Amino acid sequence: MALPPIVLILVFVGLPIVTALLYSLGHTGGLNSVTATIAQHQHVATSWWGTLDAYREVLTNARLQRDLALTVTVTVVSTVAVMLVAFGIALYQRLSDSRLAKALAVLAIVPMFIPVVIGSWAILLFYSGTGFVRTALAQIGVEGPVWAYTQTAIIIGSVWTSLPFAVLMISSGVQAVPDAVIEASRDAGASLARTVWSVILPMATVPVIIAATFTAIGVLGSFTVPYFTGPNAPTMLGVDINNYFSSFNQPQQSVVMAFVVFALASVIGAAYVWANFRTAAKAVR
Amino acid sequence: MTTQAARATDGLRITGLVKRFGDRTVVDDLDLTVHPGELVSLLGPSGCGKTTTLRMVAGFLAADGGSIEIEGKDVVGLPPERRPSAMVFQNYALWPHMTVFKNVAYPLRLRRLPKHEVTDRVEHVLGLVNLLHHRDSRPATISGGEQQRAALARALVQEPQLLLLDEPLSNLDAKLRVKVREDIRELQQRLGITTVLVTHDQDEALSMSDRIAVMNGGRIEQVSAPDELYTDPRTEFVAGFVGQLNSLPGRLVGGRLVPEEGLLTGVRPEDVRLIPVDEPGASAAGHAPQDRLRGRVVRVVPRGAFHELVVEVEDRTLHSLAVGQSLPVGQEVYVDLARPLLFRDGRRLQER
Repeated sequence: MALPPIVLILVFVGLPIVTALLYSLGHTGGLNSVTATIAQHQHVATSWWGTLDAYREVLTNARLQRDLALTVTVTVVSTVAVMLVAFGIALYQRLSDSRLAKALAVLAIVPMFIPVVIGSWAILLFYSGTGFVRTALAQIGVEGPVWAYTQTAIIIGSVWTSLPFAVLMISSGVQAVPDAVIEASRDAGASLARTVWSVILPMATVPVIIAATFTAIGVLGSFTVPYFTGPNAPTMLGVDINNYFSSFNQPQQSVVMAFVVFALASVIGAAYVWANFRTAAKAVR
Repeated sequence: MTTQAARATDGLRITGLVKRFGDRTVVDDLDLTVHPGELVSLLGPSGCGKTTTLRMVAGFLAADGGSIEIEGKDVVGLPPERRPSAMVFQNYALWPHMTVFKNVAYPLRLRRLPKHEVTDRVEHVLGLVNLLHHRDSRPATISGGEQQRAALARALVQEPQLLLLDEPLSNLDAKLRVKVREDIRELQQRLGITTVLVTHDQDEALSMSDRIAVMNGGRIEQVSAPDELYTDPRTEFVAGFVGQLNSLPGRLVGGRLVPEEGLLTGVRPEDVRLIPVDEPGASAAGHAPQDRLRGRVVRVVPRGAFHELVVEVEDRTLHSLAVGQSLPVGQEVYVDLARPLLFRDGRRLQER
């Protein structure tokens, strides 16, 4: 019964990964021969297993090192910001029956229904030199910041695109914390803040970790938001992969960068796997 | 007793407590006093306001009126964490990510007590509830009864001036419930903690309480000792809720029922005596046959040490208890009713 999906994954996911890995190691024949024919500046295998020259070139390139640092920074900052905002909204929704809490929860989901391209353009226009923020502030004689085409815009865009899923995920976890355990903590003498820290957060750890890993992996490999809203240099690896693949015609280098992103995502993915195991262990119990 | 004296001795004093949800008054001008060291149960059907009352005492719900004094101090304006009470929740509400030890130690750690004192007090209270062997277990790995005892330990370790028990046994199986309620009662008496227990289970209330407050429609119908509540109910509701009651319209005159507007006669099943009509001397006992109620046994329900007999009398059904030999289904019987309770418009009349 499981054979068709397994075959599908092997053909459409497994095979491209294997051929891409071989190409990044300098194997330019076989399924890679067409790409290799037109590609520029590629490293060809010097031994049976290949060569690490393409990796060496990418990882020692000063510009790409800056881009890698930017990618990691944006990922970390955006993920932390998304987690804080999403947990705050989820918590407010959990502890308050007010209309504001409900409105906020709905508002946080809205970006899910707006295409990323549209959202990116909106952010760009909002924070550009002649955008809404500066225009509004100029009315009261204050010179506002220009965040369009900066790292800040990428982070704002990343938070915009990642927030809805994180809010949904974390809200479900926080909503699942029973009233009684919260009340038991208050009854024991804990303030609300202490109750959040000692009871609600630990009981919602798994959904928080899952939301954080999905957010981080999504931001790490993002293209649209940094492409539209970020600076030309340094930029994120997603944009570099596109530039090296299409503009510079250096597909091998872009494949190497993809594997670097993949390696980073694997580290984050380990947290997701751990969280899933923890959930499964609880379910068994 | 002067007000000052009352304040000095009262464990809990609730005066004129009111709670409304929208247009619905859930707790209506409720007064209750629980003396120090006493266990008082709030007993009533679902929706009678007993849990709402308890939650207002604990501070989880704001009262719309009235006052709540614990050891003479009005606590109405205080949040739950600043009230000198501790609650045991219906579903235990243990924190699943903490061990039993950490669950019990949590209230003490909040008070920043020295580590050795925390350990000593937690181990002492775990010893009281026989849970020392589970100190490092997570709640999910211990039984329901043990979880309940851990929740009790968490409340006791705070040395509260008032212990609140919110249907603490309702999630336990019947046998364990009897054991745990005895444990709780024994501990409560030994430690002398003023306690309020909320329950809808009359057995629980009758077996654990010094006094029982029967609630109905947001009001207390009667506060009495368990025995008195059963033998001397002041309202038809109390008589029907605490123990079983056969309700018959009218008044018992001689051996027969005489209809009378607004009047109702209540008889406990143990006071319904059945005499087989074919038993020698049956007609000689009591009233003349034409002045006696006559019925037929329609069902016999074994209850272990006794049988419950359902008897059809004219167009109504009566319940009777028989110890030892039961009567067969279909048996024609004379029905003698002893110790009738007379009610007019729901309130007890002192005449029989």
